[in-house]
Amino acid sequence: MGFYDKIVESFTEIREKLSTDPATNESVSSALAAELTLISTLLIATILLRHISIILTIIIALGLTLFLITNMPLIPKLKKEQSDSLDKMLFYIIVTLGILITVIYWGTTNV
Amino acid sequence: MNELIPLMVIIPIACALLLNLFHTKDKTITILALTVAIILPIIPLLSNYGLHYFGGHAPLINTGTLLNSLPSNISDSALAIFHPAVTYSYESLQKIFIFVLGIVAFFAIFTSLSQTKKISGPLMFLMFMGTAAVTAILLSDDIFHMYIFFEIAALAQTGIILTSKTKDNYETALKYLIIGSVGGPLLLLGIGLLLGLVGSVNISDIVYAISHNLVDPLSPAFLLAFGLIFFGWLYSSGLPPFHTIKSSLYSKALPHASSLLQAFTVVTFIGFGIAIFRIFSILPFFETLIIVFSLLAMILGVTMAIMQKDFMRMIGFLAVGELGYIGLGFGLATQFSVTAGLFQALNEIIITALIIIGFGAVLYLTNTSDTKKLGGLIVDNPALAIMVLIGGFALAGVPPLNGFQSKLMIIQASLNSGFPEISIIAILVSIITFMTFMKVFHSIFLKPKPRNLKLVNKKVPKSIILSVGVLLIICIVLGLFPQLATDNISQFVMGLI
Repeated sequence: MGFYDKIVESFTEIREKLSTDPATNESVSSALAAELTLISTLLIATILLRHISIILTIIIALGLTLFLITNMPLIPKLKKEQSDSLDKMLFYIIVTLGILITVIYWGTTNV
Repeated sequence: MNELIPLMVIIPIACALLLNLFHTKDKTITILALTVAIILPIIPLLSNYGLHYFGGHAPLINTGTLLNSLPSNISDSALAIFHPAVTYSYESLQKIFIFVLGIVAFFAIFTSLSQTKKISGPLMFLMFMGTAAVTAILLSDDIFHMYIFFEIAALAQTGIILTSKTKDNYETALKYLIIGSVGGPLLLLGIGLLLGLVGSVNISDIVYAISHNLVDPLSPAFLLAFGLIFFGWLYSSGLPPFHTIKSSLYSKALPHASSLLQAFTVVTFIGFGIAIFRIFSILPFFETLIIVFSLLAMILGVTMAIMQKDFMRMIGFLAVGELGYIGLGFGLATQFSVTAGLFQALNEIIITALIIIGFGAVLYLTNTSDTKKLGGLIVDNPALAIMVLIGGFALAGVPPLNGFQSKLMIIQASLNSGFPEISIIAILVSIITFMTFMKVFHSIFLKPKPRNLKLVNKKVPKSIILSVGVLLIICIVLGLFPQLATDNISQFVMGLI
């Protein structure tokens, strides 16, 4: 590799380091698809509650819709929460364990 | 030949130990590893269905003379039925899964040996040890034995990450160990509670004790055991909240090793899933909890996958999302749905291995997994690109491939169970999986080649082409003739439900 090529390559590398991840057609469409998937699947999943109570389903579906719309865009927030940070992983693990044991113990003995 | 049942575990363990011993002798490692890798899928085909009692200690009821010599307070009690030894149960389900695991292990080892210039004895050791461990999980009828082998599999997975020399691999391995130090002991605590309640860790004994009212399934200790074992299952199978670390694990391993890691996860998922189903399906909330976590896995897996720029991480998230389909099969809890879930598990092992090994070729050629830096690779590798594309179709559930058959079965099962919402979500997630795959395929193979993209290797190894080709043929055959797998699976499920 010539001296000139090395200089050009170093410029390319520096430019890559300085560039702030431009929004491309691909990344925007991905984010939109993810956002719509998240909202639609969560709302459809809420309808499953109709097996317990229809009134509960209506209340939760309306509440969730309001929550999702007021917090848009959701995906950047979700991505931040689903990062590789050990703190966040452990936080969600402990929260899940707490909810799981609560639902299984009190849910079974009181239902 | 029932003697072959324990050999399915003993042979890979013995091979792993020998490989570690000969770790500097490349030729010996290659011959030994390839020979045992060829043997692995053959043993389940030769073995007869049946039980194997370690040490020959069968239940007292099977040994007439000994039973008659015992006092009636023992011979008439449940003790006569309980299993005193670790028991391996080999049935139609184990046959097909151990066979497919053997095939994937063979191709993972074959591509590993052909790609690396300096053969790593420790990596081979870990791959065989992990294969032996998950085989034992699938065969064992003893939940403590399953736990022990699960921990061995978890350590093997951590070791595989450590040998990969990818960026931040040590950090990911350490995180997995730390998280494992939460999930693993809680699983063991749950098993300990069951032992305290029933007096046995054999799953058949526990089921017998519950069905004959020897244990109150609504007692707080039993419920706590369920909660802890269920939590341990989430950890072992990479369902939320463990999906992030699991997908990270796949992306940090070398592709050939990663193809085996995902197979370990799926086999552990169904091994523990079947055990939990047998023991706890009597409880309220059981099915609901499985469905909730499965839906979460699907939604989070696919939404995170589509946002990734690193294709290995994207495959990691997609693989975790696909686990949700298997969980749905268990959660719907009908014979048809469990068959569909287990068929999906079998398909996932094959399809994900195909895609990871196929994309591994891209990593081999370019030394990068960043899709922004890639492009135009179809020009030099059209055959590989087309095979990987068809593999992606199978993953998304495009007819007539195997992924389509199993996903269609799951959708039908949820409609039959009165949950059309689940069917809609399953279809939506399949569509997004397709979109995610096409996005990454376009980035790697179809978009114009970036000018600064340098190839570190000129040609894709033939071992990769062969591996992807054979796995693709299996996908097509299972897609056209799903009964080859579903007959075996439904035969097992009939005994389960």
